[in-house]
Amino acid sequence: MSSSTRILDVKNFYVAYGYGEDAVQAVTDVSFTLEKGHVLGVAGESGSGKSTLVYGLTRLLRAPGVITGGDVTLRLQSPDGERDFDMLAASDADIRAVRWSHVSIVMQSALNALNPMRKIGKEFDEVLRTHDPKSTKAQRRERSEELLGLVKLAPDRLQRFPHELSGGQRQRVMIAMALALQPELVIMDEPTTALDVVTQREIVSELHDLREKLGFALIFITHDLSLLVELADDIMVMYAGRIVERAPALDLYRAPRHPYTLGLMDSFPPLQGERQVMTGIPGTPPNLKNLPTGCAFHPRCPYAMDRCRTEEPELMSLDNGERLVACWLHDPSSSAAVPVALRHSPHGDQQEQS
Amino acid sequence: MTERHTGDVALEAIDLSRHFTARGEGGFFGAKKQVRAVDRASISLRSGEVLAVVGESGSGKSVLARMLARIVTPTSGEIKIYGESIDLTKRRELSYASEVQLVLQDPFAAVNPVRRVRYAIERPLLLHGTNKADVAAKANEVLESVSLTPPEQYLDRYPHELSGGQLQRINIARGLSVNPGILLADEPISMLDVSVRLGVLNLLRELCDNRHLAIMYITHDIASARYIADETVVMYAGQVVERARQTTVIDAPVHPYTQLLVSSVPNPENLSHQNTSATSTTVSINFNYDGCRFSPRCPHATDLCHTNEPPNVDVDENHSVRCWLAASDEQRRAVTISSRATSPAN
Repeated sequence: MSSSTRILDVKNFYVAYGYGEDAVQAVTDVSFTLEKGHVLGVAGESGSGKSTLVYGLTRLLRAPGVITGGDVTLRLQSPDGERDFDMLAASDADIRAVRWSHVSIVMQSALNALNPMRKIGKEFDEVLRTHDPKSTKAQRRERSEELLGLVKLAPDRLQRFPHELSGGQRQRVMIAMALALQPELVIMDEPTTALDVVTQREIVSELHDLREKLGFALIFITHDLSLLVELADDIMVMYAGRIVERAPALDLYRAPRHPYTLGLMDSFPPLQGERQVMTGIPGTPPNLKNLPTGCAFHPRCPYAMDRCRTEEPELMSLDNGERLVACWLHDPSSSAAVPVALRHSPHGDQQEQS
Repeated sequence: MTERHTGDVALEAIDLSRHFTARGEGGFFGAKKQVRAVDRASISLRSGEVLAVVGESGSGKSVLARMLARIVTPTSGEIKIYGESIDLTKRRELSYASEVQLVLQDPFAAVNPVRRVRYAIERPLLLHGTNKADVAAKANEVLESVSLTPPEQYLDRYPHELSGGQLQRINIARGLSVNPGILLADEPISMLDVSVRLGVLNLLRELCDNRHLAIMYITHDIASARYIADETVVMYAGQVVERARQTTVIDAPVHPYTQLLVSSVPNPENLSHQNTSATSTTVSINFNYDGCRFSPRCPHATDLCHTNEPPNVDVDENHSVRCWLAASDEQRRAVTISSRATSPAN
């Protein structure tokens, strides 16, 4: 992995809501990298910091959200070569230039993201005109139609208002707009959560084709781990603002190492096999205002040890460096017996769940 | 109240319909048209069993539940409770409400945010005739039944102090406080955090088994229906298109829509999912009420499907489907040539 294929580099990123004593730490010490053309899935429950993370990275956070530390470097591709761009140090004007043309974002609610008083065509026109003021109206219209074609929508949709489109069509419009300026990185925050499964399936398979055609890198946020296993190259699981596990998608699915990942997978009933009672994760998601000491997951963790209650686990590398896990169970110095459910080899047989 | 035995039919809907009037093309001056939100749906809930009703948004599953709770008046059809037919022209009686309870999707919207949990639990008890003296003890008991222990810790809190999962348990507890025989749960877990969903599902299953409750579990999540249900019903555009006992609907779907639904669910065990041939949702509203509702999207649709409503066909004794593909030659022949000749009004 040479650094030249790296498109995004995030180091020790922190985001808080509010200042001083009242501040709530929403993202804590997150570091990760993304390679060109790769798909990174971010999974976690509401409140795990997954949306805050990407809003922070793209400097879209609204007050009282504050970035309190870290480095975010984006590698920009332009006709005259590549250069590194510091997202956090850049001026607002520079950020504006980078947004949409290099990084674009698709939000969860397309209905809220589109202006209800404007026809779809007008939204496209604005994006294209801002980027290239010299273009003619006819050119922009042609490009808009081409973009709608990418997401399999008829050109006549340009004449429609957002409320005239179905949820799936609106989300397709958002995806087409995100791709308008051919960015290297697209971020999607729960783009299919509000849609029914059939539409979700169509959009996900379109995304697959689009990525193959256009080669952009993708950060895909969702709480649905099984969807990520299909779509992503790597999956990052977040809990209480921290990364608790990161691994190649199939490895993570076949052999989760963190008890939270295991619990999350045990929360989705399977579509095949014998029916059996599943337990999910006991307890309730943590309150960020009042996080437990030590590992934030320990009150809900069936394998918690004394050490977990007092010491915060760091991300450690496993499986020849392919995987990162923040759990004391896997630390050699804890000399704990790793539970059977978390011990399987990712390349062995299917793991059995307890 | 009658004694409940597992397997007895508790609540039955027979050819229940609800039509709404909507404006057609042309806005305010446009012609009115009928939208058949639920069209001749028949289902039966049995004591001690969970009936899962699966369908996408707009399939009519919530309207069906509201009709069964008698919040929405049916346009036509019949509701039977423990075998007795209900006079749908009359107002709902209190005794009906205490037998049939509805749990809604959004737990935060279902309880009064400025009242304590105690109020939410005790009010239905008082309304349904519990003595004032017994109410406090009964409220404790009700919370314990949904594993919110110790109850004192919850009763004096406000809804915003509780998590979604806890609030949904309180909603279920509130429904159960009047000791109903039938619980209608409309998407009870879709707004909850993924890690607490199973807890609520397991709770529903437990209540069903221990109290011989008849539960209607409405969902768009097929996997959860497979997990909990004794019988599963699939709805499309207001009609029941397929029903079967246990997991048959999901394991061996017969209707093309059910097949599409099942193959659309992300399934890491089967990553080589075949590209489903049914097409996008955009045409789904333009079906012909005389034909099969699904025919505009169906890859197997024939002329017959566009013009004639498919019959209910028994695949076996525990599995039936509303589709021409499964129909016998006899059923096909029964459709006269003249009615086939009418062209589909797109």
